[in-house]
Amino acid sequence: MLELRDVVFSYEGSLAVDDVTTSFNREQLVALTGPNGSGKSTLLKLIARVLTPHAGEIIFDGHSLRDWSAKEYAKQVAYLPQDPDPTFSMRAIDVVVSGRAPFLGRFAWESDADYDEAERALALCDAEHLAGRYLDEMSGGERKRVFLARVLAARPRLILLDEPLASLDISHVQQFSTLLRDIVNATGVTVVYATHDLNWAAAYSDRMLVMQRGVLARDASPAEVMKADVVKELFGFDAEPVAMNGRNWLVPRV
Amino acid sequence: MSSTSRAPHLGGAIALLALLLVIALLLASSAGATNVSWRAALSGDDTARAILIGIRLPRALLAALVGATLAVAGVTFQTMLRNPLADPFILGVSGGAACGASIATAAGLARLPGVVPIIAFAGACGATGAVFLLARRREYTDPTRLLLSGLVLNAFFSAVILISFGISHQSDLAAALRWMMGTLFGATWSDVTLLAVLLAIAMITLATIGNDLRMLAFGEDDAKSRGVNVERVKVIGFITASIVTGAAVSVSGIIGFVGLLVPHLIRMMWRRDFRFLLPLCALGGGILVVMADLLSRIVVTSSELPIGAFTAVLGVPFFLSLLRRNR
Repeated sequence: MLELRDVVFSYEGSLAVDDVTTSFNREQLVALTGPNGSGKSTLLKLIARVLTPHAGEIIFDGHSLRDWSAKEYAKQVAYLPQDPDPTFSMRAIDVVVSGRAPFLGRFAWESDADYDEAERALALCDAEHLAGRYLDEMSGGERKRVFLARVLAARPRLILLDEPLASLDISHVQQFSTLLRDIVNATGVTVVYATHDLNWAAAYSDRMLVMQRGVLARDASPAEVMKADVVKELFGFDAEPVAMNGRNWLVPRV
Repeated sequence: MSSTSRAPHLGGAIALLALLLVIALLLASSAGATNVSWRAALSGDDTARAILIGIRLPRALLAALVGATLAVAGVTFQTMLRNPLADPFILGVSGGAACGASIATAAGLARLPGVVPIIAFAGACGATGAVFLLARRREYTDPTRLLLSGLVLNAFFSAVILISFGISHQSDLAAALRWMMGTLFGATWSDVTLLAVLLAIAMITLATIGNDLRMLAFGEDDAKSRGVNVERVKVIGFITASIVTGAAVSVSGIIGFVGLLVPHLIRMMWRRDFRFLLPLCALGGGILVVMADLLSRIVVTSSELPIGAFTAVLGVPFFLSLLRRNR
């Protein structure tokens, strides 16, 4: 579905994404990890077409991103920035239905069908009951679900989430991770999400990408990443692997 | 779920505000130093006709247009820059106009008819261009830099205005001060026509990019990922709102609070996105300035008071009561 070939991007001379080559296929939950400043957000923005690669190529369905119209591509690939915040509070349903924007004509307002899609997306995120509520009346976890629904409202085939679990408490991290897994299984969409939490990522995802100083240092199954020597090398994390229920969990060495 | 309203009820809100605007226009054109009625004017009384159609109606309509323009510019800047404090004043548009007008006064040009509006308009355009160029870096217009540039230029304009006033002829100062505080005295039908045409063009332009502009509320990265050409939308929005503000300021002088206040008032009553707010702000701004102008004319009979003071006197209590209710 999506392929990155030798993608390079730098901010005013400092290399943020260095020669990344990888690809994504259908129905995968992919965790994008790596230390702070390793290029995770930049990589997501490149795929979301927020940034344009300085070298290399991104190919979707066999066509370079340069050949995709912005609106057509937005119907296929949806991106959720780290802290989306509409300056002025809105109702959840209005937030979600705005995810239908790529389908809207220049002067068109959302149709009933668009609202149906928005409600379907809210239902997928267990957030139907929030439809009429305003964002500023919601908890952080509820807002995350509303914004996930917004991303789903366009029925994209690839979803990019920038640290969706950040600032969630532990039970919401669990709920949200389960939700992502369920959505991937139920709809066949591919979700790539940036995260710092290796244990959660390994437990729920099919695949883990590890960035290190702009380079894609590992692209492997969770089992291959969750090893003491690997995380020491990639994250500088001094951890003790503990095997339980057939998988490794990383416990910090103290 | 079924209770969630879907398609926004724009029609009802527009009808309500349009009705209020018509009432405001009727009130404003009926009241004044001379007691004349619309009935007399329509039944052929030439004096009544001259006062109502020649003087008061164009003035009331111009007030409505100026208010609509400032409010439309305000909601556009607030949406585009994702900043609740953005308005034509903070961005230096009005300051540029005032700067131009005060230089014209100092040069003794203010006594020539039509010169102040033209130079004020040029000042507004110049300020807009300067703010825009200062905020632009590598094909990117930074909202924070835009606001900062506006603030800094405003300080500069204030200095120029003070110096200009210092060297102006004593006899020119009264008119210049009145202009600085906002006045619609001497409004003509040609002012009305000109501003109406410009406002119509601006609103159509803004409606054309309305679907994209409202996506900017979620942030520029988000909008870009949704297929919005963010830079183009910002450039079009900024230039459109600035030019039409420049035109309004050039005919009315500086009328404060409207661009800042009206979008917030409307948003407190109808919490919706830009496409919905645009027509409502136009009507709301019109109502506020028509009423403020009316008060500025009738509160004291001996002279006219600044309109800008009454937009605040009328708007602020209303704003505060909504703020209390919403919290």
